[in-house]
Amino acid sequence: MTDAIVTPLTQALAEGKLSREELKSFLQRSNGPALRRLIAWIAVLALTTTLVALSWDSWLIWPAMLLQGVVLVHHFSLQHECVHYTVFRTRWLNDVVGNICGFIIMVPHKHFRYEHCDHHTYTQLVGDDPELVAMPQNLWQYVFYLSAIPYWRAKFTELFRHVAGRLTSEEERFIPKVERAAVFREARIMLAGYVLILAAMAASGNWALLWFWVIPMILGEPVMRFIRMTEHVGRPTVPQMHKNTRTNLVSFPWRFLCWNMNYHAEHHYVSSVPFHALPRLHEKLKDHIHVEPGGYLGAHRDILRQLLGRRL
Amino acid sequence: MAEKGWKDILPVKELEAQWVTRVQFGARKLALYDTPSGIYASLALCNHGGADLCDGYFDGHVIECPLHQGAFDVRDGKPVCAPATRMMKTFETRVENGMVQIMM
Repeated sequence: MTDAIVTPLTQALAEGKLSREELKSFLQRSNGPALRRLIAWIAVLALTTTLVALSWDSWLIWPAMLLQGVVLVHHFSLQHECVHYTVFRTRWLNDVVGNICGFIIMVPHKHFRYEHCDHHTYTQLVGDDPELVAMPQNLWQYVFYLSAIPYWRAKFTELFRHVAGRLTSEEERFIPKVERAAVFREARIMLAGYVLILAAMAASGNWALLWFWVIPMILGEPVMRFIRMTEHVGRPTVPQMHKNTRTNLVSFPWRFLCWNMNYHAEHHYVSSVPFHALPRLHEKLKDHIHVEPGGYLGAHRDILRQLLGRRL
Repeated sequence: MAEKGWKDILPVKELEAQWVTRVQFGARKLALYDTPSGIYASLALCNHGGADLCDGYFDGHVIECPLHQGAFDVRDGKPVCAPATRMMKTFETRVENGMVQIMM
């Protein structure tokens, strides 16, 4: 019989970085922490929505929409946790919330789930990791990625490709045949939902959702691109988890928004650990992973230092 | 080929309570599950990516792969969520004289 594949977790257990008893304690799930955070999340969203409404006839609507956008794009973080079933102990709640998040930010949940599996299997391996963000080769590429223009282009292309019932060769690798129809179906349902909302806005003459949702998303996505770059970009493109992933130490508001996903190396080590246990796991693994104490800005200083070949 | 029959696998008292226990039986890696409705057994490696299910999260009757969080119902091996799509190999299980036995 074949042996189990070597994963960061099996390595951590074998090397004594983590004991089995500790692992069990970190893995324990509960609905309570997620429900409490979700209530706070909705309150924050209500607050930023109110700010947009209050600044409706003023230039202040632009910073208000940016703020709203920063919160909206962080639905990606919540969806990401749901993809791992590490938000709620009740499994179907992860599916429901993950799909809602996916609809808000146009990331079909099932497709993301399969794509993300390969990201965890082949983290930072060029040609195999479907979520790999390449290290920019010059300042223009860096700025262009942060604009989120290539991101949106890829997302719209992906959605329409799936609506048309097609996959790329890379997607054929990670989406099993039995699931392809479901991936196409979810893309069609998602597009139908957007068309329905657009039609309702046109019919009613009320375009408010553009200002509460679409424009904030466009304004906020560069912030999410900025954050996503800090996870792996500029780290070595090697399989060793302690080298290829960054953990970024950030302040509470950012930890809240990203559902503790700043503890990214810990997450890659043990992706079954729920979001609320990641700070504890960090204390256990922090000497064995790459930690960026300067947070997101520190990570970008590192990326730019490599890009420009000088100290910043 | 050995005749099919009940094989002693592990003393019951060595099972991890309400969790999954890893057992090496000859060349086979097995997973034993202590559940609210009894003890169940399966092959230990996930049939999706080959990770060791015994390092995964176990809750009730569902074992979750530690690598991709694909999950199976340990009672019948049915895949519960993606990326698990194929049945997990399970074994009939019983307890005799304080030993967990499986039919294999």
